[in-house]
Amino acid sequence: VQIRVVAMACVCTLTIGPWTGVRGEQERPPSVQSFDHRDPGALSPRNAGYDIDVRLDHGRRRLDGRQTIRWRNISAYETDELRLQLYWNAWRDLDSTWLRGHRRSRGTLPTRPEHFSAIDVSAIRLRAPDGPPVNLMADARHIAPDDGNDADRTVMAVPLPFVVRPHDTVEVDVEWTAQIPAPFTRIRVGWIGDYYFIAHWFPRIGVLEDGGWKAHQFHAHTEFYADYGEFDVRITAPRPFVVAASGRETERTDNPDGTVTHRYQGQDIADVAWTASPHFIDLRRTFEHPALPRVEMRLVLQPEHRGQQERHFSATAAALRYFGEWFGPYPYDHLTIVDPAYQSGSQGMEYPTLFTAGTRWLAPRSVSVPESVTIHEVGHQFWHGVVGTNEVEHAWMDEGLTAYAGARVIEEMGLPNRLGMRYFGGFVPWVLRDIRLQRATDGNSLARYREAPNADTPATPTWQYWPTTATVITYSKTALWLHTLERHIGWPMMRQILATYFDRWKFRHPQPDDFFDIANEVSGQDLTWFFDQVYRGSSVFDYGVQELSSERIADGHHRTTVVVQRIGEGVFPVEVVTTFADGVQVRERWDGVDRRIVYEYDQPSPASTVQVDPERVLLLDVNYTNNSRTLEPRAREASLKWSLRWMVWLQELMLTYGFFL
Amino acid sequence: VTRESWPYAGRRDRQSRLTDRRPGIIYAAWRNGWQRVLSSPAIVAGVLAMTLVLALPLALTMRGLLQEHLGGSLMAHEAADAVNYDWWQEFTSQTAGLGATFSPTIIGFASTLDAISGLMDRQSRIVPVAAAIAMYLAGWTFLVGGILDRYSRQRPTRARGFFAACGIYVVRFVRLALAAGVVYWWLFTYVHPWLFADLYPAVTRSVSVERTAFVWRLVFYAIFGTVLLSVNVLFDYAKIRTVVEDRRSMIAALAAALRFIARCPGRVTGLYVLNSTMLLAVIAIWALVAPGARGAGLSMWLTLAAGQVYLLARLVLKLHFLASQTALFQASLAHARYTAAPEPVWPESPAVETVRPAP
Repeated sequence: VQIRVVAMACVCTLTIGPWTGVRGEQERPPSVQSFDHRDPGALSPRNAGYDIDVRLDHGRRRLDGRQTIRWRNISAYETDELRLQLYWNAWRDLDSTWLRGHRRSRGTLPTRPEHFSAIDVSAIRLRAPDGPPVNLMADARHIAPDDGNDADRTVMAVPLPFVVRPHDTVEVDVEWTAQIPAPFTRIRVGWIGDYYFIAHWFPRIGVLEDGGWKAHQFHAHTEFYADYGEFDVRITAPRPFVVAASGRETERTDNPDGTVTHRYQGQDIADVAWTASPHFIDLRRTFEHPALPRVEMRLVLQPEHRGQQERHFSATAAALRYFGEWFGPYPYDHLTIVDPAYQSGSQGMEYPTLFTAGTRWLAPRSVSVPESVTIHEVGHQFWHGVVGTNEVEHAWMDEGLTAYAGARVIEEMGLPNRLGMRYFGGFVPWVLRDIRLQRATDGNSLARYREAPNADTPATPTWQYWPTTATVITYSKTALWLHTLERHIGWPMMRQILATYFDRWKFRHPQPDDFFDIANEVSGQDLTWFFDQVYRGSSVFDYGVQELSSERIADGHHRTTVVVQRIGEGVFPVEVVTTFADGVQVRERWDGVDRRIVYEYDQPSPASTVQVDPERVLLLDVNYTNNSRTLEPRAREASLKWSLRWMVWLQELMLTYGFFL
Repeated sequence: VTRESWPYAGRRDRQSRLTDRRPGIIYAAWRNGWQRVLSSPAIVAGVLAMTLVLALPLALTMRGLLQEHLGGSLMAHEAADAVNYDWWQEFTSQTAGLGATFSPTIIGFASTLDAISGLMDRQSRIVPVAAAIAMYLAGWTFLVGGILDRYSRQRPTRARGFFAACGIYVVRFVRLALAAGVVYWWLFTYVHPWLFADLYPAVTRSVSVERTAFVWRLVFYAIFGTVLLSVNVLFDYAKIRTVVEDRRSMIAALAAALRFIARCPGRVTGLYVLNSTMLLAVIAIWALVAPGARGAGLSMWLTLAAGQVYLLARLVLKLHFLASQTALFQASLAHARYTAAPEPVWPESPAVETVRPAP
């Protein structure tokens, strides 16, 4: 069965215009890696390749791996060491940097032996072109470049016997074992029952930039950063297990010991994640679009979610369609959707050409789960998968951008998108049909942003954000300011900016200023004033009506006085619209700089209403209720209606609790 | 109801009725319970009015908070005509205490789910809401003596007799309520966490199928619910025996209730299940017809009326639990319409001398 996206070819010719018209390879701006050029026929520099053999020991919940890393220095920096990321040591003991941060955010801590994990490297050998391999293990040591935590073992420095200069290539063989953790919180990897989700699981080389190594420790609220390459991964698992991984399965070998080796290969990807379970339902559909490349979608679904497959596929197809039309085509011909097991803690996470969705056994159709998480994770295939941002330092560049764009897709899809509440331990859903979630406010999580609008300055490296409020800044604030920018400059311009950014920075590592430069260039405006506030500052935006009054004056006219106030520190130009009783509207444009502005009008009729920012361009405004004033308020009606509703709720509480006495 | 209308009256002696295992007695008690409840509508109205009186001050406070926040804003228009969820979230983010309870869960059937789920999941309530509930429980403790007296006598006792009975039993029922409070406190402080914070996570730790975890959750709800309802039945019959037999000792009343339940568990359980089925049916109907967010004006009042009708039905069923259980007890261990306590007779007011001088 094929999902044919409803889009006429002629329409697509127009809609996909922006990314076909942007500047190409020859105008690549400089990046943090001076020599990140693509080889002919390749999409990426392919400077970090891996051949990995891994065996899943189901009984011992362990991985045994051997791998070869082929790494080419594409930076201008000369190095005499390699840095390996050993993420699973984040849960080795309670003193790891990850768990220290997690404790600060009052998260659930591991309590049982199976919650802990470890990755132990047993051998590192440098392949020498004209001699025996050189053992590098003896001098390898764990380092903590971020916080100096001696107990943290998530980064390993491996000294080399020589200096690796730009364009030089080294090959090292690594042997390792890893204990697979059982999830104690949403650690996104591990096992539950006979379901496995295996991600950031092998020793991975850090990113060498012109300024040196970027191999951060694993922090509780940050993700990943890696170079692109070719992956050839052979996963050996017990025969009944269905295995799905990043890349394409190119070979499957039955072994005499009751196992099967699945070979997955992927090019121009920065990571490989995989999953295994004997219970998966393995489904496939094809995404087709008149103007976008064909993509085979593979869904490995939990049996209890049988019946929700079309929801997963249609959300994925919609995301591929809209993101493809808006930003640029998805560059791979395959995409795997993993429906994670209950309590696996692996839901809602992105990896190259594979992502985990997330749904519930009882998932009402009018609530956008699993659609919202599916669309978000497909978004990450573009923002992070293709545009290789540094999620450890600038998580907003992928999470925020994806949150913003994902909300837009949900709106375009026309989903019912009702508010769903969950009861009885979260198992029983109830749909509030009267509340349709809105893209601008709910999709961008304005309510969450309001909780801590100035918790951190986004320009702070993400790993240094305060853990409890990191997501507010990374996701919500970014989505809100991007949507504000969209409303300020218009969607066509915004789309052009994003398409240009996507095209110039695909398979590279952009920095925040690269995005801002493109925004300024494409829009033809200097938007630095805006980025200074929303990215380099933590100003809170709040405009409000201070006063609205109309009084009769001598000639039968009415003198209306409007006072508009800038309550927050943030400055943004706003419109002030005053409507008079006879329907006349006066529209003013205020630069929003001063603390307040006064408008006086002599009109035949008294004023009826005044609105600040009536189109709600400034979505970062934390208090929109004070943005309007009417001389015919309906607060009494509204408050009476809702307080009566609340009263019935309270009465029912009384009867419910009183039942037992 | 007349003595003759009671199907078991005069046919068997007390002992034979007690050992009678025919299911008909359950239905008869259930039906008779309806007659007792419906013949005293003032009780239903009075208790409903008590919930209104107790909820109203907080509702007025909530109204003040909402009105103050909306002020002269145009946001009030959408809030009045439908739901302004954006404003709603803004309000809750800027308020604490009572205002924080203004959640979308108050709309329609979500309100019922919130109440029941909150109880079963031991959700804490903020102080003003908990205080209102406590006041309702106190009021109920005062009224239940008069209610049971009326139901056991099966004839009008008028307000004077009703409140006199309330006065007679209130101290006893306060003692009983304290005992019940201790039991419920123990259940919610120790048994609930043991079941839901220790056992349930232990049982479902390795469960990777949500449906299975849900089944386990239901099992634990069933266990906890059965314990709660068993305690409820015990205290209901203790109250009934206190009134019908004019018991002074609440410990003895509890022991007597336990004896009664132990001697005819089938009838007690059968009647309780029948009543519970009725209650679930009413809740299910409410789930289908509960009005969503409507506009202000007439629609608002109709919605309020619908809510009160539902609450009335819930209350009637609660009272029917008591009335039918009283009927069952009286059919089993006492004469129908018999109560040991004499009907309270109070001396006349001194004012009578002014109104009606002595001859």
